[in-house]
Amino acid sequence: MLPKKARREEVFEQLESAGGLQPGNVGKVHRETGVPAADIFGVATFYSLLAEPDAGVRVCTGLTCKLAGADRLLADLETEGTPATSYSCLGRCDMAPASWDPEGDPATTEPAFSPSHPDFAIDLLAAETDTYSALRLVHDKGAEWALDEVEASGLTGRGGAGFPAHIKWRAVRGQEVTERYIVLNADEGEPGTFKDREVILRRPHLVIEGLAIAARCLEAQDIYAYVRGEFGQVKASLMAALDEARARGELDDDVRWHFVDGHGAYICGEETALLEALEGKRGMPRMKPPYPVEVGFRGKPTLIQNVESIACIPAILERGGEWFKQAGRTEPGSKLYCLSGHVERPGVYEAPMGITLRELLEQAGGVTGTIKAFSPGGASSGFLPADQIDLPMDFKSLREAGSMLGSAGVVVLNDTTDMVEAALTQAVFFEDESCGQCSPCRIGTQIVRQALERYRGGDGDALAFIREVAWGMREASICGLGQAASLPLTSAMKYFPQEFGDDNE
Amino acid sequence: MSDAKFVVIDGNELSFEPGETILEAARRAEIEIPTLCYDDRLTPAGACRICLVEVDGAPLMQPACATRATAEMVVRTNTQRVDRNRKFILSLHLADTIQDREIAEDNNPSRVHELAETYGTAGEWTSVVSPRQGRPQDTNRFIEFRADRCIACSLCTRYCNEVEAVSAITLAYRGAHTTIATADDQSLTDTTCELCGGCVDVCPTGAMTEKQALEWGKPERELEKVRSTCNFCGVGCQVDLNVDREANRVVKVTSPPPGTTVNDGNLCVKGRFANDFIHHPDRLTEPLVRDNGELRPATWDEALDRVATGLAGVKERHGNDALAFISSSRCTKEENYLMQKLARAAFQTHNVHQCAAT
Repeated sequence: MLPKKARREEVFEQLESAGGLQPGNVGKVHRETGVPAADIFGVATFYSLLAEPDAGVRVCTGLTCKLAGADRLLADLETEGTPATSYSCLGRCDMAPASWDPEGDPATTEPAFSPSHPDFAIDLLAAETDTYSALRLVHDKGAEWALDEVEASGLTGRGGAGFPAHIKWRAVRGQEVTERYIVLNADEGEPGTFKDREVILRRPHLVIEGLAIAARCLEAQDIYAYVRGEFGQVKASLMAALDEARARGELDDDVRWHFVDGHGAYICGEETALLEALEGKRGMPRMKPPYPVEVGFRGKPTLIQNVESIACIPAILERGGEWFKQAGRTEPGSKLYCLSGHVERPGVYEAPMGITLRELLEQAGGVTGTIKAFSPGGASSGFLPADQIDLPMDFKSLREAGSMLGSAGVVVLNDTTDMVEAALTQAVFFEDESCGQCSPCRIGTQIVRQALERYRGGDGDALAFIREVAWGMREASICGLGQAASLPLTSAMKYFPQEFGDDNE
Repeated sequence: MSDAKFVVIDGNELSFEPGETILEAARRAEIEIPTLCYDDRLTPAGACRICLVEVDGAPLMQPACATRATAEMVVRTNTQRVDRNRKFILSLHLADTIQDREIAEDNNPSRVHELAETYGTAGEWTSVVSPRQGRPQDTNRFIEFRADRCIACSLCTRYCNEVEAVSAITLAYRGAHTTIATADDQSLTDTTCELCGGCVDVCPTGAMTEKQALEWGKPERELEKVRSTCNFCGVGCQVDLNVDREANRVVKVTSPPPGTTVNDGNLCVKGRFANDFIHHPDRLTEPLVRDNGELRPATWDEALDRVATGLAGVKERHGNDALAFISSSRCTKEENYLMQKLARAAFQTHNVHQCAAT
């Protein structure tokens, strides 16, 4: 007998424990949850980790891993008879070419880090102090005080949008509806980005404390942490920190904590797609407005914040908003920059917001070879030419340069890089990861990839109409994925016209 | 918020109800905004993006179907940017489906081609090699899904879910692979599907189509629509018989547009698909009477006399209540009235029933 009310939020857990999309499982989960079987099939086929449970070793074919020989790795695995498939991105750009066997041991990561510094808000190498003193300050001084400090800090969303944190916090706090949610966006998926992974692995208490502060300030009863599925041990690290903090009596007992796995869909890093996933649905971004601060998880006011943003909160409250603001060079705060690609020491480097790539490269041991181009903020930021390495790496400067800081996943390309190939790699990524909901993105990403392949194959006219396609994708897509998906190609065409034939510039 | 409850669309001050969208306000004022994935019976998806309009203050164009009108909002539907987007969207869909209108409209009309004729396109782009999968193994007799025509607008899945509450079909897979599927790609008859055919009716491109009409091979535009009343039950749904005049044949049944008749665009499996009796060779087309065990054609007078004599004989031999009268749910109310009149007045029995009464 079916449950009286469909339990949609249980669909993922049930599908996962049943072993993903395999014969009989859709019906089984339907009987358990009461959700229509077709809906369960729609969900199971949407998420890579559920749709292909027997894919074997996943080999990352993101740009950084491609540069480091992902294709060769795939071929080698095939030769030795190991089942393997290519995968959009594994979030291990520091280990390129990365591979992951979901059945095997959790992958270890060993990125380089910037040395500890007193002006870092997160400081990945600091001994974990886990004092929870900021949370106690909120108890003593109140939510309004905390919100004022967050406002004074000028903290902007580190997930990539750069939206002022205090506006979201105040918006949720100001809602009449009292059922409110805090959601931690730990679905870090932008190729070139692996900072949130390291924050949770090395400083999980900052995240737990930041979340507890947010829940207290916004009077939320539930905290949901949505953690990228490809990051097995990361969720465990966060849960262990919660247990520790609880055991020591640091946390309010009336807040409920929930940990949810992602199941392999880049788009769920988009906040409203993430909410859909939490609700047990296909991760298709919602139309905005209304924004999640008003209509979020389960239709209730919801604060969604990136891991790095949340992890900045304890330092902001302990040391003051003004301190955080001053820690940045061109914009507030210190910032985690991920460096990968053709760099000597790929890693996560904390630096004042607005540092230049030239300075970051010095920390990372320099470029392997001669720099030709870089992506300042993951695949979505397109490419900039080498002569822009003195640009301040902040939200405003990069936006004005036609790019974006995004999640600060900096991928460096040396002069052996074929920009047509690089653009094609990004095009493949976006085509694979488009949710398929809106036509500009669903069809546009296919057109871009196929045109690039034809161009590479010798068809000089293949890119003739691509500018119009790119215009429409940018103007008409529902969410940031589609709006940014043509940027790798258009920026490569802009800065490296000789590689795309003169006609196209 | 100001007291003034009007939205300005293309310079016209239009009043609106709270909760109304830009599209609804515009349509009342007969300002045309094209749509592909919109149906006012369904939650807007905002997926096709052809209804994007400019809203002052918003950096990006907004979907008219899903954006609520607010007081003193200024909307522009006739700008170069809006027009450029419409052409872009149409070129996209044509590249992703079937560019040739003749082929695309082999059965049902294509709204994409209609709009392309009205608004123009951004040019004919190289066709996309789409990996969308159909369901060729589906053995149901009535509905075929042709993935090469699908624009993934989700009208069919939303209709199935929100109007019929059946949820037999879903958007499945992701990105370029996004398609319409049943659970585990089963045949519709193995799912919760009731074969109402609403998915065919709401489909703007003929991706969901009637198998029987497809086999007949004449596109809908060459058929004549004859309005009729469905007589499978007493609801009185209006149907359009799609008639091939040359062959004097009903090829398929469609529902009149939503909002125009009592059935609001809906039909059930019988009304939409159970029409092969019309031209069936076994169909009775004249009265028959039985002589010595053999049926032979007769006049109405002769047949009715035979019935009257038989019934009167039963009454005489066995009494009034030896007779019972059962009428069909396919009869009209007036016919049912006459049936009970016959039972009660002519034969003095209350043994009268109608098969739709439970």
